[in-house]
Amino acid sequence: MVVASAPVEYLKTIGIVNNGFNGRGFANPYDTAHDRAGRIYVLNRCDVARRTAIRVGICNLDEDYLGEFGYGAGGGDGQMVLPVAMAFDSRDRLYVTDEYNHRVSVFDSDGKFLEKWGVRGSGPDRINGPAGIAIDDADNVYVADQHNHRIQKFTADGEWIGGWGAPGSGEGEFNMPWGVAMDGAGSIYVADWRNDRVQKFSPDGSFLASFGSGGGPEGLIRPSSVAVDDRGSVYVADWGNERVQIFTPDGSFSKTLRGQATLSKWAKDFLAANPDEQATRDISDLRPKLPPHLNTPDHLSSQIEPYFWGPVSVRFDHSQRLFVTETNRHRLQIYSTT
Amino acid sequence: MSKSNVELMAHLMRRAGFGATRTELDQLADRNYEEVVEDLLHPGEADSLPDDLIRRYHVDQHELRQADSAAAYWVYRMATTACPLEEKLALFWHGLFATGYTKLNQARTLLNQIDMFRHRGLGSFRELLIELSKDPAMIVWLDNENNHKTAINENYGRELLELFSMGIGSYTEDDVKECARAFTGWTLKNAEYMSQRAMKDSIWPYGRISWHFEYRGHDHDDGEKTFLGETGRFDGEDVIAIIVRHESTARFVCTRLFQYFAADEVDSDAEPVIREMMDSYMESDYEIRSVLRTLFNSDYFRSDAVRLARVKGPVELVIGALRQAGMCSEPVLDINDIANQASYMGQGLLNPPTVEGWHEGIEWINSGALVDRVNFVAAWLGDTANPGVRAMIDRMAEMDGGVLSPEELVDGCLDTLGPLRVSDETRASLVEVASREGEVKLRGNDGADDERVAEILRLAASTPAYQLA
Repeated sequence: MVVASAPVEYLKTIGIVNNGFNGRGFANPYDTAHDRAGRIYVLNRCDVARRTAIRVGICNLDEDYLGEFGYGAGGGDGQMVLPVAMAFDSRDRLYVTDEYNHRVSVFDSDGKFLEKWGVRGSGPDRINGPAGIAIDDADNVYVADQHNHRIQKFTADGEWIGGWGAPGSGEGEFNMPWGVAMDGAGSIYVADWRNDRVQKFSPDGSFLASFGSGGGPEGLIRPSSVAVDDRGSVYVADWGNERVQIFTPDGSFSKTLRGQATLSKWAKDFLAANPDEQATRDISDLRPKLPPHLNTPDHLSSQIEPYFWGPVSVRFDHSQRLFVTETNRHRLQIYSTT
Repeated sequence: MSKSNVELMAHLMRRAGFGATRTELDQLADRNYEEVVEDLLHPGEADSLPDDLIRRYHVDQHELRQADSAAAYWVYRMATTACPLEEKLALFWHGLFATGYTKLNQARTLLNQIDMFRHRGLGSFRELLIELSKDPAMIVWLDNENNHKTAINENYGRELLELFSMGIGSYTEDDVKECARAFTGWTLKNAEYMSQRAMKDSIWPYGRISWHFEYRGHDHDDGEKTFLGETGRFDGEDVIAIIVRHESTARFVCTRLFQYFAADEVDSDAEPVIREMMDSYMESDYEIRSVLRTLFNSDYFRSDAVRLARVKGPVELVIGALRQAGMCSEPVLDINDIANQASYMGQGLLNPPTVEGWHEGIEWINSGALVDRVNFVAAWLGDTANPGVRAMIDRMAEMDGGVLSPEELVDGCLDTLGPLRVSDETRASLVEVASREGEVKLRGNDGADDERVAEILRLAASTPAYQLA
């Protein structure tokens, strides 16, 4: 069967850096979640020194900033320390993982704290460093149990159902798994971070396929997130390579995205208010050629502003638009895939 | 292994690195001294805490937007490297070519400079100065982006001669001007936008954009220059080639290395060593590795008189304690706080007080800093939860069947922390504390006496001897 490459086209960029809990902008965004009304929820991980601004910001594709919620840093209700990923269930409840507090916090779509669950440990029903999260149509919650090197499955209320995986690099084994996603058939994809690959499983956790490993120019390095479109094409946040790799449904390499950010509405507003910076920016080459000793993905991304830098998450909204969240550029690059 | 070999290796590792654990010293003491020196001078795989683990845990140490994040990243490198001289020397160059965050607002570019010190620090001093002159952090720190063909800015040219290579008195004001002319056009990419963002500390719209060198030929003064008595159409590399072959440069560099690695004061015994270092400098085509080999292998450096006779710098002290305590093998939430401790003691990484760097030696010690220093090492080395401390206790449990008299406990703690030499009076005080509850039983006792060992470790680490390298 010949599968056409995904028709991916860049649409726009949303974002601007904002360390504060004070309106539009993001601080080291780590993941997005999308409700049926088209609202974009952005998880701001922040960093330890500036963790008081840990929050979820809400905006839409037109770049209206609709609000934000957060409860501060710590272990209390609604609080987080190292949040990683988010997902909505069928009732528009938002689940957020926290790899430091070893738990999942649940909020309603207005940000009201509802509950938290998860207990640190290595026993069958415990988690250690929960990272990626995905929720199926029946509201089963799948969590990448990072330091136990497995996938855990819970009910929407946090009751443990089962899980699979063990430390290692064989089929069905993991090394610090991160992102989790599922396709329309219920198959589960895991960004097997330190094994440099994505693994695909049946809904019951049986190993189906692995791809992206093996090095080479198309190979994955430390993939952090995975998403699957309606056609079954697989999008991987190739975090260690600062890019997004797209694979056909059978796991063949299809296409690379390196990033092509443009100025968001918020960025344009900033530069309009700071014409001195706009003027010197206008005479700058923001796609410079770097000297050889800086020719690594990380250095290139740190100096070439349109490129992805810290592309930590790939997610689809309900209109099959791809959202790439860039931690280090505090923005989202958005692509159409239909 | 002999006790004298252990003490010699402990001395070498304190000076050429950040100290060693007692187990590491046992292994080193079985080896030939010169071979160990050669290993230090030829760093291989650093095997430090991997970047991917750091970046996954600390988003800020991937982005490196802020100075505290960059300092914390460097702490991880220093605390876990298998090539300690590489990091210790990078710290030396950071102090000599002091470049600070406050003016740049560019932590990543500063760390790129430190990485350049890692790669170039043991090689040719000529090449090091060329790379330094092309380093974008240095360019902005000393205003060379404002050094134009039509209007020179002397700042970099002056400091290159005065603070980085020859020392005052070895050149004229005309030499400074000619030197500055040679470096016109040495700037950074997008200099106008980048220097403006640095000045405003602008992080908008999408965080910082890191820097790299750019040569602008149209802004370079290609005319004839007379520099240190030589005439030609010199550019920056020509000027550096002239600088490095001057004896005053050899003396300046060798003296600074001597003071950092051997002794604060240059006395009559030190002068022949510095002369030998200068000879090595000239004979090796200005290679720092050769200079340090001469120093480390000298009788002077190995002599008893120079051991435990130099005040540890705050970073040395902090990193040394972390390494002995076995910390930083994985990312920890409070690494920024740990890095800040060195700052509270007077040495903020990537934030030297002036272009002259830090005033070292006894000036590290004042009453406030001393309290911070003692509290830090006592806390880390007296905590039985730390793997390195656990290893110290386990090591002592192997002594005399695991039953130690108060004297044996004190001597065991002093040995495992250094070996440290303390006065008879200090030792007697430690023994007095250790005697309060009699002998300690470290086997078959479910760890009941572990805290008593920790208490003596805390006290031993609080002695003046631990403050010295």
